[in-house]
Order: sequence, then structure tokens, then C-alpha cells
Amino acid sequence: MFPETSRCVTAALSPFSKTAVLKELRRFFAHGGVCRLQPRRHFGVSRRLTAKVPPPRKPRERVPIPGLEMIDYGERMHYVPGLAKPVNPDWEKDFKDPRYYKSPPPDKMPLSKEKPCYVFNQRSSLLEGVPQALCLTKTKLIPGLPPQLLSAVENPANQIPDQDERVQNAIKHARFWDTTEERPDKTKYSNTLLNNLMHLCATLQSSHPAIGRRMLAEKCSLAATWKRGEDLFQIRGQNSLLHSCMDPLPVVSGKEEVAETADHVMQSLYPVSPTIDLQKIYVYKEEMNNTGFRDDYPYPHVHTLYILDGDDTNFSLRREQFRAKILMFAFGNALARAHKLYGTQPQHVLDCPITVQAVGTNGRIFQFLVFQLNTTDFSGDDGIKNQAWLDEDAELYDFAKVRPLIKKKQVKVPAGLAGYKPEIFNKFLAMYLHGAV
Amino acid sequence: MALSCLTRALRSLTVSQNTLLSSQCELGALVSTTVAQCRGFLTTASLEQNKTLWKQREKYTIKPIGMKKTGGRDHTGRIRTHGIGGGHKQRYRWIDFQRLHYEEGKEGKPFEEKVVEVRYDPCRSADIALVAGGSRKRWIIATENMQAGDTIKTSAVIGRMAVLANEGDAHPLGALPVGTLVNNLEIQPGKGSEYIRAAGTSGVLLRKVNGTAIVQLPSKQQVQVHETCIVTVGRVSNIDHNKEIIGKAGRNRWFGVRPSSGLWQRKGGWAGRKIKPLPAMKNYVNLPSITAQ
Repeated sequence: MFPETSRCVTAALSPFSKTAVLKELRRFFAHGGVCRLQPRRHFGVSRRLTAKVPPPRKPRERVPIPGLEMIDYGERMHYVPGLAKPVNPDWEKDFKDPRYYKSPPPDKMPLSKEKPCYVFNQRSSLLEGVPQALCLTKTKLIPGLPPQLLSAVENPANQIPDQDERVQNAIKHARFWDTTEERPDKTKYSNTLLNNLMHLCATLQSSHPAIGRRMLAEKCSLAATWKRGEDLFQIRGQNSLLHSCMDPLPVVSGKEEVAETADHVMQSLYPVSPTIDLQKIYVYKEEMNNTGFRDDYPYPHVHTLYILDGDDTNFSLRREQFRAKILMFAFGNALARAHKLYGTQPQHVLDCPITVQAVGTNGRIFQFLVFQLNTTDFSGDDGIKNQAWLDEDAELYDFAKVRPLIKKKQVKVPAGLAGYKPEIFNKFLAMYLHGAV
Repeated sequence: MALSCLTRALRSLTVSQNTLLSSQCELGALVSTTVAQCRGFLTTASLEQNKTLWKQREKYTIKPIGMKKTGGRDHTGRIRTHGIGGGHKQRYRWIDFQRLHYEEGKEGKPFEEKVVEVRYDPCRSADIALVAGGSRKRWIIATENMQAGDTIKTSAVIGRMAVLANEGDAHPLGALPVGTLVNNLEIQPGKGSEYIRAAGTSGVLLRKVNGTAIVQLPSKQQVQVHETCIVTVGRVSNIDHNKEIIGKAGRNRWFGVRPSSGLWQRKGGWAGRKIKPLPAMKNYVNLPSITAQ
């Protein structure tokens, strides 16, 4: 067929100017013309090829009339005018071939359910931010970190020798020295900075042996399910960096404070529903709870979650949405652990509240969070609530510029590290040493 | 012999899948082969333009959609409208003109929405507002004093007494007091607003007459529409749009307006101020006529 068709094309070209048709076709391919499997027949040779093509006519719809049987020409094996076109049943292979497998539509999948489930994943950006996350997790927010955490660092025995200088070196390494180009990417320098700061904190292991009973894990997956009011929620995703410990974190607030949270009134998000910006799915596994580790993992208790902005997504969240993400993932880890310890039935009060810490950073600004899970009963807005201590927008340094910012021949911001704040690293160290002091 | 030529020609006219492979070949290679005595046919695949593919999205989204500029050209490729072309690249934000768009599962009840942000829209003169209600977000045309954090109400209820309308709320015409300034007028109930959407415009509700309402459009033309048509209360945002001075030819080019021909042409009867009576009121309500049998 090949040589014949090519001969036929040249015959088409010869009657009138070859160049005109070739030009049209070439221009057409440059545009990237859409290819269909069946080429369109072209008998006329003197019309524009790039005119609008009328859309393909849909075949006539067959309407089955009950009681009437369509006589088709299938048995006669040739077309007979007047008889109907035979309809052949869809043929499917009797074995499952992975090369030609088409998944069923969502409503026919085996796990599909009638009630939807709202999923929070790493890419979710909640519209209302932290208030929406508090509403979903039935939490009371306390601004500022708990004082007993910060008091631990004031003791000079808990500080690193040459702390300021070493931290500034760590920042300079992450922002200036770690690249062959002019400046490193944000994801790269935030990652390097976090690793450097954690390494600095870990140098205290000689004086604090409890630090040795911890383990770091990257990108472990998390799944937790809970029912808030009428709706089912799930949190699914991967934690950026998980610091887990052999011993659980000490409880931050005592039983009286926990009981006092019952009087706290949750903020209403009306007219926005708490399910906004969450992924709504109808195909899910109920009771999906997974800490990411097996039962015999030697470091089962989650100590701190380190979340980097833009690490697992190719976009970075705004600060409010980032804080909400940290809160949700801390809650998810705590809830998965609670479900494992106490079972999936809602517990009004946990005997031993589970404490989880979280640190989020975008390379310069840190968000510190301590989350305490007091209850797994999320049916109403009353009763004991969970607690979260949040320290927002802690800037470790103001500027780390490769080239100085000069406006009207005056240096506004010099090159190098500017505006370093040592107290932010103290908070970081405090959160690291919590439980090991 | 003639018969064999004819059969060869007819055989060559059949279309098969081999033509798909040949379309991948170099065009130049085809020219070099010898000519046969048969009419040709096109071996390339169907030549479809994707000029309006960006508009064919079915699912609503708040994400701005990349647009293809037409330059005033129609599907044949010739200029249908002069003076359009160039200009800054624009992305289309899909506005939900049907203000009374119920969420899934919550039909029939009046609902409230919160204004998340009010921003400039390159595709129109008015500003647009991102509103969130329930579990969905949508873009609507913003009214004059709409700010982030406001709550706006949409309802389809026509009570016996007229509602005290707040700016930005949407009600049926039958529920509003006579004399309110309205915008985003629906001509047919449920169709979506098609009138009074430009910056700073507003219509006036003149009368309510058994089941219909008469609204004066910004062009002083009066229309009679069904009283269940939803309108928004207030003036459209960006009220100083008509006072804006373009300043230079370049700014017009940024808007995508190409220069008109500089040729001086004698103006005919169409030019000049016309003083004529207002056109008759347009009736969009399908009232049964008395003469119908």
C-alpha cells in the first residue's frame, strides 16, 4: 500500500501548485495538527486545507423498543438496505491482561461508598487556615510555646558552646556556601539549614544521653481517619522528617487544664464549611490508620515533625495555610498513635494525652507547634478539646543576601547574613531537648 | 486497458491505516516519487484547529484559564472585527453569572457566602470577587463597596413585604422595593445574568406589575422581566472606570486595541447626535396573549 499511496499523493500535488499545498501542510504540522486514527478523505484538490472542519457527526442513536426485535443483516454477512446494523456485544478478555486493563468508573469500584470522605493531603491549602484546622481537629489554640519548654534552655548546661557563632555558620553554609552557582534554590537551602540545625542540636548528645534514644525518618507515610460531626475525614500524606523516640514526650498540660478546655467555645467558620478545600472522595477504605511503621519499630513515639515548605510540592503555601498544614499533620500523627494504643472507638478522655511537636520552616521563618491530643471523641463541639501551642512567624534572620541591596547609591541591606536572632534558635533547641533534659 | 486504469484508480481511493504512517514521512520524500494516473487523496490526518479548545472545559474551576487571543479573526482566518490584536497576555477567570447557583445537596434554601478577595479582572471593566460558601468557591462580579470579609446573601424567596436590600445581596426582583439600584440582571429566570455587568453601571427597578417587574437599563431602555429573575443590589464595582484617561496610544495597545485606519472618511447619516423617543419597552415574559385560542 505504501508506494501506491505515496504515488497518489504526488498525483494530488501535481495538478496544481505543489508549493502551495506543501506550504499549507508544513504550516499545519508546525501548528501541531491533531491526528485522528482515520484520516479524512480528500477528493478536492483546490480548497483550503486549514479551514474549519465540521465536527464529526455522531452516529444515530439506537433506541431499543421493548417488544420489538430488530432484524439485522448480521446473519447474512453482508449489508442489506432496510435491515438494521448488527450490534456486537463488547468483548472482554477472560483473563486480566495488565497491558490492556481499563479501571472501572469510580462508582463501580469495589471500595466505592455512598458517603463521601474529605481527605487532607500534603497539597491541601485550607482557605481559612489555622481556624479551619482547629475546627476540624477540635483544638484550642494557645499562642506562644508552653513556658516549661522555654525554661529548659535558659539553663547554660543545656546550651551549645559557641552557639551563636555556630548557628550563623550553619545559616551561611545553607544560604551561601552550598552551591557552585550564585545562590542555592529555596528547597535546597531550607533542607540544608534544617539538617545543619539538627546536627548542632545533636552535638549535645554527650551531655544528654536521652537524645541517643531517638531516630530520624524521612518521608514516612501517614494515614489517620476520624469522624467530625456528620462527616468522615482522613489525613493522608508523607511526613517530611520525623523524629521519633523510644520514650513518649511528657504531657505538657495537667488534668485540670485539660478539663478546663471543655468550657472553651469553638470558633464558627460560618458561612464557610470546614470541609472547604479538602479533597472529596467516594472511594476510600474505612478505618485507615497507619503510623508509617510496623508494630515492632523500636522508636514508636513521635517526638517532632519537621515540615519543609515546598519540599513535597512544587508550590509553597502562604504562612497561614502552612501553619494549618503543620497542625493537621501533627494531629494526624498523634491520632494514628492514639488509635493504635486505645483502639478506633472514640474516647472521651485519653488517660495519657499524646504530645507531638512540629516545626515548619521555609528556610528563614519558623513555625513552632506543640500539640496535645486529649480526646478522640469528635462528635460535637463541646467536651474536652485538644490543645495546641503555636509560635508563629519566628524569623531566624532578616536577610541573607548574596548581593547587597543598593537603592539610590546607598546600601540598604549589606551582603551576607543580617538580622540574626538568637532566641529563635533557643526555641528550636528547647523543642529538640523537650523530653531529654 | 481503460478498465484496468479505472479499477486501479478506484482501488487507490480506499483509505487504510497505512496512511497514518505515511503522514509521518517527510513531505519532501513524497515529491520525488513518480506520478501515477490516479487522483490523489490527502494522507495527512484530519486538520483540526484548536482555537477554541481552551473554552471547552466543562467543570467549573476558580483557577485562571490560559486564553488564546483571536486578533479579531474568525474561523476562516480573516479579520471579522477590526481594531483587535496584541495587548498584554490575559488569563480568563470563570465567572459564575448564575448568582443563585445552589450547592450540591442544598437546593432551595437561601444561602450566605463570604467574600475572600476582590481583585482586578483583565477580561472586563468591573472587578471580580472570590466568594466562598459551604464547600465551594466561585468568582462573581463585585459590587461597589464589596470588601474582603463581607458576607453576602442570595435567596430566591419572594415575601409579601419587600426585603431591606443590602448592597451585594441577590434577591428576586419581586422581593425588592421599587427604586433600588440593581445590577447583573437576569432576563429569563435561571439563565444567568446577561445585562448590567459593566463597571459602575446600575439599573433601577421602576415598577412591579402582577408577576413581572420593569427595570430601566443603563441605556434608559426599559425591560419587563419575570419577577423571579435574580438581581444583585447596588452598583457594579470600579465606578471611576469611565473617568479613566488612557493618556497615550501605547496604553490602548496594552489593552489589545489596535489603531483604526487614519483615513479621513466623510461621516454619513449615522453620525451626530440623535434625539429620538425611547424605544418601546421590551417584554421578556411569555404572557399568554388574549387572542390565543
